[in-house]
Amino acid sequence: MRHLAAFLLMLAASGALAYTADELAAKNAAAKGSPDELAALKSVRLSGKLRVNRGTLELRYVALIRRPGSIRYEVQLQGLTRVQAFDGEQAWQINPFQGRKDPERLSADDAKGLSENAADFTGVLVDYKAKGYTLDYLGTEDIDGTQAHKLRVTRPNGDVTYVYLDPDYFLEIRAVNRRIEHGVPNETVVDYGDYEKVAGVYVPFAVESGPKGSSERVSVQVEKAEANVAAESRLFQFPAAPASAAK
Amino acid sequence: MRLEFAALCCLVPGTIGCTAVAAAEGTAIDSGAISGLGARNIGAAAMSGRIAALAGFADRSGKLTLFVGAASGGVWKSTDGATTFKPVFDEQPVQSIGAIAVDPTHHDNVWVGTGETWTRNSVSIGNGIYKSTDAGETWTFSGLPESERISRILVDPRASDTVYACVPGKLWSDSADRGLYRTADGGKTWQLVLKGGNLSTGCGDVAMQPGSPDVLIASLWDFRRRGWTYRSGGESPKAPSGSGLYRSTDGGASWTELTTASGKGLPPKPYGRIAVRFAPSEPKTTYAFIESTDSGLLVSHDGGDSWERGDKSQWMVWRPFYFANLIVDPRDAKRVFKTDGNLILSEDGGKSFAVVGGFNGMHGDLHDLWIDPNNSQHVFAGDDGGLWISYDGGNRWWKSDNLPIAQFYHVSVDDRDPYRVYGGLQDNSSWVGDSAYPGGITSSRWENLFGGDGFWMFEDRSDSDYVYAEYQGGFIGRVNRHTHETRDIQPRLGAQELKRYKKLRFNWNTPIALSPHDPSTIYIGAQFLFRSHDHGQTWERISPDLTSNDPQKQKQEESGGVTVDNSVAEMHTTIFSISESPLTAGLIWVGTDDGNLQLTRDGGGHWENVVGNVRGLPKNSWVNWVQAGQYAPGTAYAAFDRHTFGDMTPYVYVTKDYGRTWTALLDPKDGKGVRGYAHVIKEDPIDPQLLYLGTELGLSISVDGGAHWAQYRGGHLPTVAVRDLAVQPRDSDLVIATHGRGIWIVDDITPLRKLTPELASQDAAFVSARPAQQRIEAQGGWANGAAAFVGDNPKDGAVVTYYQRTRHLFGKLKIEVLDASGAVIDELPASTRRGLNRVVWTMHRSPPHVPPAVQVAFAGTQGPRVPPGTYGIRMVRGDKTYDTQLTVGLDRRVKWTVADRKAQYDAAMKVYTLFNDESALFARISGLRTQVAEAGKGRAEKDALHKKLADFDGKLDELRRRIVATKEGGAITGEERLREHTDQLYGALLSWEGPPSAYQIDNIAAMRAELSDIDAGFAALTARELPALNSLLQKEGLKTLTVPTPGADEQPGAGAHGGGGDIAGGRSELQNLRLWN
Repeated sequence: MRHLAAFLLMLAASGALAYTADELAAKNAAAKGSPDELAALKSVRLSGKLRVNRGTLELRYVALIRRPGSIRYEVQLQGLTRVQAFDGEQAWQINPFQGRKDPERLSADDAKGLSENAADFTGVLVDYKAKGYTLDYLGTEDIDGTQAHKLRVTRPNGDVTYVYLDPDYFLEIRAVNRRIEHGVPNETVVDYGDYEKVAGVYVPFAVESGPKGSSERVSVQVEKAEANVAAESRLFQFPAAPASAAK
Repeated sequence: MRLEFAALCCLVPGTIGCTAVAAAEGTAIDSGAISGLGARNIGAAAMSGRIAALAGFADRSGKLTLFVGAASGGVWKSTDGATTFKPVFDEQPVQSIGAIAVDPTHHDNVWVGTGETWTRNSVSIGNGIYKSTDAGETWTFSGLPESERISRILVDPRASDTVYACVPGKLWSDSADRGLYRTADGGKTWQLVLKGGNLSTGCGDVAMQPGSPDVLIASLWDFRRRGWTYRSGGESPKAPSGSGLYRSTDGGASWTELTTASGKGLPPKPYGRIAVRFAPSEPKTTYAFIESTDSGLLVSHDGGDSWERGDKSQWMVWRPFYFANLIVDPRDAKRVFKTDGNLILSEDGGKSFAVVGGFNGMHGDLHDLWIDPNNSQHVFAGDDGGLWISYDGGNRWWKSDNLPIAQFYHVSVDDRDPYRVYGGLQDNSSWVGDSAYPGGITSSRWENLFGGDGFWMFEDRSDSDYVYAEYQGGFIGRVNRHTHETRDIQPRLGAQELKRYKKLRFNWNTPIALSPHDPSTIYIGAQFLFRSHDHGQTWERISPDLTSNDPQKQKQEESGGVTVDNSVAEMHTTIFSISESPLTAGLIWVGTDDGNLQLTRDGGGHWENVVGNVRGLPKNSWVNWVQAGQYAPGTAYAAFDRHTFGDMTPYVYVTKDYGRTWTALLDPKDGKGVRGYAHVIKEDPIDPQLLYLGTELGLSISVDGGAHWAQYRGGHLPTVAVRDLAVQPRDSDLVIATHGRGIWIVDDITPLRKLTPELASQDAAFVSARPAQQRIEAQGGWANGAAAFVGDNPKDGAVVTYYQRTRHLFGKLKIEVLDASGAVIDELPASTRRGLNRVVWTMHRSPPHVPPAVQVAFAGTQGPRVPPGTYGIRMVRGDKTYDTQLTVGLDRRVKWTVADRKAQYDAAMKVYTLFNDESALFARISGLRTQVAEAGKGRAEKDALHKKLADFDGKLDELRRRIVATKEGGAITGEERLREHTDQLYGALLSWEGPPSAYQIDNIAAMRAELSDIDAGFAALTARELPALNSLLQKEGLKTLTVPTPGADEQPGAGAHGGGGDIAGGRSELQNLRLWN
């Protein structure tokens, strides 16, 4: 123990960090699954429920994600289905809760988040170089009682995600997305938990998110996860006709 | 591995949140274990607080990024020109800011020097310099750990790694770690390039000549504060002083002092504080404010070789130690601002100045300005009342209402429901605010009731129309909260006493205390203790002089150094803390600022100074706090403060024998990880082992009587000074008075009373909390815009608290709610953190099945709130389950009974059932129409059977249209059918939980009758027409039509669980919902 303390004191004094960014990214990927398992996961459908409005309103929830960058979200309430989707080029939505069912195009900045969620569905750090991200390790930071490893991911467009890894298992416990939208930075805090394996890959089954600095939160609880489901391209593309629900 | 990180954390000096009760990792009652009881900040931004430094930059589009350095509330960043701010320094171990600098060449490089240099008596402390390379998003400690305070940072525009840090240094003690420092390697190493001639002289200011970064003019500043005196300069106006003005032309490698000889026109020394600035648009034009026996502005047009005397008006020379700052318009060298009590502006190069801001139109007591480099009309100013914005060159000012950096000295609460919070603030009077309010706690929920600087403030418990408040120097008033009528009730000396004692010595922060035994009895301390039984109509002096009465510490009239400054802030040999035992009337503890700890057990008849019994405590230690014990009359806690002698460590002791012996809970021998000098220690009113400690660097909590401490960081409470604490006894809320970040509330600290090592050793366990109430689900507030701070309310629902020894990462963690029959009626997403966790149950049952239509029926997205009673709570954590019960009661404030509430619930459930039945009928109609469509598929329109099927379908659709609105398009159609009427009635019943009105009950019957009518119509239609249709189908060899069975498919429109009274909020949230993260 004395040797450990001396070593750590030396580390502290020198400002050295226990890991490099690449080492942590590799540990994170390994914690998620083997390279083969990660590569084999081509699509996933996550079904469950979503709570909004301080937890007072619950909707059925489906997320359908398909490599290499398509994503479709649906929430259902009273027989109406809200859709937000991205096919790699165009983001769009159907927002029927107040009577309008025509699809609407979303702005390019709205597409950022959808695009990132699609690209990073096995984790922002997995294949980060291939995705064109740069990575910096910023040391540890207390995240709700856990001294988490903090990494900064910078995307090609300059947007940043701060990723916090559990120090024991190297899975994400929090991310802070900082995106420039309409010329201003917007920050979202995302907490991850309830990891379960889907086709050999750990996926968070509990996700809570909201604006940084606010107590507003949206929570998703995944009840069912299906790997490598059929996901037709039309589900992600701006509909020529009213969109149908993801099956 | 986790052990290693915990150890690493605790080895880094200044790392926050590392203390723990138990050494064994995983069972530690440490910061992580307790901070899951989140705290909420209720502001206020109404009065805001002192700002010490400003910096910013304009991007290519002209958009401004602004950094605000709060005197004791961290760094706030705005990327929208001050419309919104976010705190960016909260994870750092200090919150006092002295200087901010943005690299002029690379704006992402931002430097922060910690430790304010407007060195008033209440000033906080820093611990060095920090650097950000991403425009303030993240920070790295970059040295100068012993600097304590930094006044200016300059970055060489040619080389971002070359930076100058002007370090005045330690305020309260000698130090060699002061002067002007330079780094050439981005902060890895620093060289002291200009130092003073003694250990109390540091760097006062530094300026870099535009276009010639190697040319620097810097001032040295000799200064020192003690508990009883202050000097800027030497000990007297003409005493020797280390202050001076220096110039370097080689980037600080060598310096020449500018004297009356080398700097023609300068005033003769000795000097005090000096501010110096070059004009950005005319590099040779140099301004210097010099504190001397002939203080005033000096102007040079040759870079400092020669100087002309400029303005020396009142607001140029007033209190230099607090206001020595000059800001030159970046585009007009003749336009220069001088900060002071008022803000003054010269437009003639310093010859004359005009008041353009300050005590009229803004708060006053300004410390820094920042001017938009592209638009000199756009000016930002920081003063003792926060941030101000001018669009007309600094003449008229908008008040920023979004910086909750209020500097409270003290706090108290009343027993209204919700309770109100009272407190006084640095230069910001005495305010009362709501602890909760529908829609959130805006600035308008705070009310100023007095004036001056504010300190202790209480509701008059014998007449709640009145409050007691005070301003500096013991000027106590009794204020009518409705009319604001104020009566000065400060005790005064009679003729004989005046002759004998000369004056009453009231501290800057004069203690006031209410008797726990008699709501009419109030105490106030000067050098004597006074007591009034009649709201200050009369006072009786119940003590002799309880202080040392040391004449050497009573020379405030000589205070100030070069410029006399005797504002009561240095008044010494005074009583500072008063506490009467809640167990024994007349047992009163008194602490003094000069180190006496006095006890009377007979209401002031006899006094004993027991401070000599505190072993190891240095003499004359300021008694910041003494608190009589709540559980044993001989018990008292005392927090001593030696920061005025340069010792920033906490000294906290407890006695259990009326002061005969004392045990150290915290002292330099064993600080137990607690950082910062101690301000306040209090016992929990229920658990004698639970102690709360406020220090200059945060809040610490002990669950074992002070043997171990953990820093509380709930809700991201920063390491800000915690000056006072109050526990609202009815609600068990801990109210935290910070000096720099306003008031924070930890709602219901009951779980801390249950947090034992035994509990902490369990993998997981429920922890009991206060009983849940069904608080009124009220609407309130209005659109505030983004530029307004709104404090959070308590969580809206029943709070479930549990403990986890480790963070939950793998597998399901959920909280189920069960009704009396054991059925699961809700499933809540759980919190996964280590330690205490909280989850909120809205107490609403799942929503009804609402028939699908063209729009959401918003009231129908929620179920009724369950009736009061006892509910089961089950935690499913992997393969283990944990059970407990939760009792739900009515809001204390409601006028209705449980029976009334049950009637409301039953009525709502009737409509709930009506919704379900509408859905069932709708499903049967829809099911039959599906069969009709299938039967007619492929048949020509002229076909006879097709026509009959179409005719039948049309009649079915007419019935559907009687149930739901059907106009598509998303406009306000105004179309209302049975479903929409049901939704209106349902919403009306849910909106108020008292007994429903007769007309609402009648309306339920009317709706039910309408549904029955449609149902009967459906039955009649099918009875009348189906047999014939089925005959035709049979003839064609087709499948016959059957009426779907009731209940077979009645959930087409079912939402999932919903609830909550805020339908408008739900509507908005749904409409704007983003499903991506």
